Amino acid sequence: MSENMTETEAVASVAAVATKRRKPGLGWRIWLPPAITFIVFGALWQVTAIANPYVIPTIDGIVMSLIDDPQMYGINFLVTLQEVAIGAAAGILAGFLIAVVMAEFEILERAVMPLFVVIMVTPIVAIAPALVVAFGFGMMPKYIVTALVVFFPMLVNSLAGLREVDPKALDVLRTLHASRWEIFRELRFPGSMPFVFAGLRVSLPLAVVGAAVAEFVAAGQQAGLGSLVTISAAQANLPVTWASIVLLCVLGVLLVSLLSLVRKRALWWSDGEVVSR
Amino acid sequence: MTETNVHDGGVSIRGVGKSFGPTDARTTVLQDVDLNIRMGEFVSVIGPSGCGKSTLLKVVAGLLDADEGKVTIDGESVTAATRNKMIGLVPQAPALLPWRTVLDNVTLPMRVNKGTNAGRAMRDARELLESFGLGHAVDKYPSQLSGGMQQRAAIARAFVFDPSVLLMDEPFSALDEMNRDQQRMGLLEFWQSNRKAVMFVTHSVPEAIILSDRIVVMAAHPGRIAEIIPVDLPRPRGEELYATDEFRDLEARVRTSLRRVMGGL
Repeated sequence: MSENMTETEAVASVAAVATKRRKPGLGWRIWLPPAITFIVFGALWQVTAIANPYVIPTIDGIVMSLIDDPQMYGINFLVTLQEVAIGAAAGILAGFLIAVVMAEFEILERAVMPLFVVIMVTPIVAIAPALVVAFGFGMMPKYIVTALVVFFPMLVNSLAGLREVDPKALDVLRTLHASRWEIFRELRFPGSMPFVFAGLRVSLPLAVVGAAVAEFVAAGQQAGLGSLVTISAAQANLPVTWASIVLLCVLGVLLVSLLSLVRKRALWWSDGEVVSR
Repeated sequence: MTETNVHDGGVSIRGVGKSFGPTDARTTVLQDVDLNIRMGEFVSVIGPSGCGKSTLLKVVAGLLDADEGKVTIDGESVTAATRNKMIGLVPQAPALLPWRTVLDNVTLPMRVNKGTNAGRAMRDARELLESFGLGHAVDKYPSQLSGGMQQRAAIARAFVFDPSVLLMDEPFSALDEMNRDQQRMGLLEFWQSNRKAVMFVTHSVPEAIILSDRIVVMAAHPGRIAEIIPVDLPRPRGEELYATDEFRDLEARVRTSLRRVMGGL
């Protein structure tokens, strides 16, 4: 128990140092409240795990599992990362490009949007097994499922961003007889970026969900953190299950942190964060 | 003053009408509007809200099509005029691109519709910004500028490609009164040495008088021209004009006209 407390304390102090470095001078008010939450949560977890060893593993059990076989976790982490990266990139690109075409030709939106909505309200969990039948147990169905979950929020947000440009600036460009391309280049594309980033903020965590779900249903290929979760859970190997869940969480956090880093650099001119549609 | 039918220069508005809404409930926003703005003439359009002054400006800018009548700019149709980049528009808000520097914002007109750039007396954007008192701000971003400076940059953006006509839609309405007066004087000074045909929509009587050669008073429901008041004050004008009897007489005259238009007496 005391050993575990030092562990959580160590984690908390690392987090505190990181926060301090980012915002010097703001002091304990910034890092202490979340640190206390994490310590309390960790302590409750640990107490529950010790009392009920068949429900959840202890924190040290999870950590030991990670330390014992870093290669196995590393490989599976990279498999899932690859699915997320390729699937999300495809979904983001498709969502944005189709939004560009729709923003230019409104009739296309009316024609195609209902189909997209139908596809999107279909539970992805239901589509995934069908895709495995169609595309086999390789990476393809995982890419497709990941791309599908990412596609819609990207499409909707990009479309909103491309449409909601400053009408007065648009007036100026129209009076200059700027071409569609020039209006896109000068106004719509940069102007849509706050919305695109709002879409990314929703899409990237969803991409991790998509990849994990695709792995759940593609039982044949036993690679990736999602597969690791199902297999180890079936074997009641709780430390492996939870270590994989932690790594999925880490993947999501990494993607979101990377995104807000890029956002800060790219959108310094935008006054407020746009809330996703 | 005298309305000429010569179409060789400036803006000619002939019998322009425009209505909005469904056929069974149409609102006539503009009815039979006739107006000429000669080259180098500064014309203000003033009137109560709903008199269609902004709509008229949008028609001249090619942003709205008139239902009836015809607008020509230097003898060409509005479409041809926009294609040849003859119209400089200063909208109500500065509408600068927040991701571009002031210099890049002002040179925006040069980056689009480039076919018409050849053989044109483009102004040096830096020099222009210098004369607008924004020399120190060329590399700044719009968010780093005050509202007045942003609006000046927007005006510089309209002057930079040497258009034949400037259309300004209440460009100073968002500024506080002291700032507004300063910007007005800046525009007046610049325009006096760079005479263009200007159509200036405003709801400020002193602003209209100090800037204009003629003031067009519009009435609402339907939007139409009620009266055109010539402003026979000598140029160049300066702030001292506000205190003169001639200015006050004109102000009284415009206000009377506006009161009549708005239904009072």
